[in-house]
Amino acid sequence: MKSATALRYAAAILTVTLAGAFAARDARAETSYVVPSLSDFSGPFSSVMPALGGARESVIGWWNADVGSKIGVKLVMKAYDTRFDTAQTASLWPGILAEKPLVGFALGGPDTAALQQRLPNDKVVMLLASASNGFGWRPNQWVLSMRPTFVHEQVGFIDWYQKTKLGGKRPVKVALVTSEASPSYADIAKGITAYAKANPSVVELVEVVFAEVQPADLTLQMRRVTNAGADVILAPASLQQAIAVKRALQALGKKVPVAFSMHNAPGFIAKPMGGIETLEGDYEAQSGVIATNEDTEAKRFYDMLVAKHGLKAPWHGITAAGIAQTLLLVRSVEAATRKNGPAKLNGEMIHQTLLDTPITGASLFGYSPDLSYNISAPFPVYNPKVNIGVVKDGKVTTAATGYPIPKLDRW
Amino acid sequence: MEASGVFFTTYAGDRSLVRTRPQWIALSLLMLVLVALPWLAPERWISMGYTIFITAVAVVGLQICTGYAGQINLGQSAFMGVGAYACAVSVSQWSFPLPAGLLFGGAAAAAFGSLFGISAARIKGFYLALTTIAAQALFHFFVLNLPSRWLGGPGGVSIEGIAIFGVDLANDTAIYYLTLVVLVVMTGGAFGIVRARHGRAFEAVRDDDVAAGMMGIDVTRTKVRAFLVSAFYAGIAGGLWAVALRHVSVEQFSLFSSIWLIAMMIVGGLGSIVGALIGTVVIQFAREAVTTLGPSLSQAFPVVGQDIVFASMNVLLGTVVILFLLFEPKGLMHRVTSAKQAFRRWPFPY
Repeated sequence: MKSATALRYAAAILTVTLAGAFAARDARAETSYVVPSLSDFSGPFSSVMPALGGARESVIGWWNADVGSKIGVKLVMKAYDTRFDTAQTASLWPGILAEKPLVGFALGGPDTAALQQRLPNDKVVMLLASASNGFGWRPNQWVLSMRPTFVHEQVGFIDWYQKTKLGGKRPVKVALVTSEASPSYADIAKGITAYAKANPSVVELVEVVFAEVQPADLTLQMRRVTNAGADVILAPASLQQAIAVKRALQALGKKVPVAFSMHNAPGFIAKPMGGIETLEGDYEAQSGVIATNEDTEAKRFYDMLVAKHGLKAPWHGITAAGIAQTLLLVRSVEAATRKNGPAKLNGEMIHQTLLDTPITGASLFGYSPDLSYNISAPFPVYNPKVNIGVVKDGKVTTAATGYPIPKLDRW
Repeated sequence: MEASGVFFTTYAGDRSLVRTRPQWIALSLLMLVLVALPWLAPERWISMGYTIFITAVAVVGLQICTGYAGQINLGQSAFMGVGAYACAVSVSQWSFPLPAGLLFGGAAAAAFGSLFGISAARIKGFYLALTTIAAQALFHFFVLNLPSRWLGGPGGVSIEGIAIFGVDLANDTAIYYLTLVVLVVMTGGAFGIVRARHGRAFEAVRDDDVAAGMMGIDVTRTKVRAFLVSAFYAGIAGGLWAVALRHVSVEQFSLFSSIWLIAMMIVGGLGSIVGALIGTVVIQFAREAVTTLGPSLSQAFPVVGQDIVFASMNVLLGTVVILFLLFEPKGLMHRVTSAKQAFRRWPFPY
């Protein structure tokens, strides 16, 4: 009798244990999806890749642990070194595609050139951290950027500067330093020239300086520009140009504010320039977050990634761009999971979700304004905004957040 | 030197390219493997395959200009670009059928390339190398500054819905077979050129252009012809590249790409068509291997970090190329030829 009771108890305990184990297994069941991370560890952007790649890894790690595990999705990031080379990307892609990627990280022009024609057939969305280009402003694109074009960002800055610094009383005299060596940089000149031509009451373009991507010296060019009375110099192209512009102004003893972009922001070039104080009064204009030390939600999220998810990259624009890009990717997967369930997600669902569902700035922890995509452009074309930072008292501080960019026609 | 017992009793046999039964069998097996590859290998191999085939066409052209005619050419990538743009524009905007578009691309590149052949009549060596670098700069400048409606400006040119003889080319397997066929035809053509009087003239000019002139060879015309042929090959390769990607933009054809093409030719061996093919395959495989190993290693050893792993892979690739140049400066084809000769003489040392 006693043995029968003991057996019954044992059976009951076994049943409960097994049921618990199965329930726990079901709760843990996650569908894994591959996320290719196109990277450049050996090409022109190898110096920024550790920060960008580290940011991508840590956000994916955070999301898998805190969000993905609850909704039944696990993202497996796999890095590929494309060397920022179209041929390498084209060669790698069929192998990447064979792993059935859900959505991926792109890096820039070569990825876009290699893949833009085939992605609509392959049904994989790639997300860019960098700004977009005028020539990429075409409908039905599958390489999507979270920032508008470089020209949008610079035009937003010009409008802000003319209205706030000059009180809107006269057109702001602007010089642009860029290059013909890269289509993206040449496109900036084209766009800014078109804007200046259409808006003479806002901006007077005193000169477009076409220089090498890695110029040895720009003193002569900066002398011309300062003699022409430029109020502000735009240097949104390469890191080396940004440094050359600053060194030339130092050599000439001229103090004209310079506006940089995200990838050559003051916080990033401070070290080669010999300290942030050398950039006093200079600006950073871009649609992503300005990497200041102010207590913002974006900075707190970065600190959390450093503390809990092994992020080693320092706090600057490139790291912020990597975090922002990855946040957009995971939020789009989240939104697609809510609509379609976690088990059978595919690239087409992600693309449709991005077109249908606005991604709020709050869900991106302030790394971007609200984003809503449209089939007409590969970037958030309606109501784009620019954030502006300025170096003040030896620190990068916020000068304007979410400043609306004037409407631009295609150039 | 033929193997002992191999001799020909007809003129056709004596001038044949594939000379013995074992050579025919080896070639047939190679072709069989290449034809069957898309059915047997993973997708990645197909894209690697057509990338290698396209590159090989450009390297074979470079071999004719530099390896045979001795004219240094650092503009091969720009010539590819001219061919790519010409093919893309003719197919997408002027509705050329693809074969005509490819030929037009080749012809456009040949016209551009022959301009540098004219300059080669007056200058040599480093000066010629610098002049051909100008091809890269000119190509870049023209594409970006000509009206956008011509060549698309910075945005480049896209090709939609491309097909050849009713076969849709929007898939990798079709591209693979197209590029394989073109490579076979172009390689056959290259052998024809270098074994004919043009090839003899190229070699004579390479070895001593003054002596070649005294022997009655028109040196200027020969140099122009070398560049023309080389650029035609590059143009065809560029056209194939445009078809494979369905999009052409200026940054795809850089000086760095030209240098890789030269590295392939040197590793394979100067003055050999087969060497050009071998060099292309070896370098492309090495590049693909380090690119493929990188992600696996970075996943297997996450502590090391992606940046260290990928940087190490490229150091490894660079080291392999340097070792080749140090220990086998005459190229792999020289080693193959030496081994073949030794085998045929065995057991005698010479």
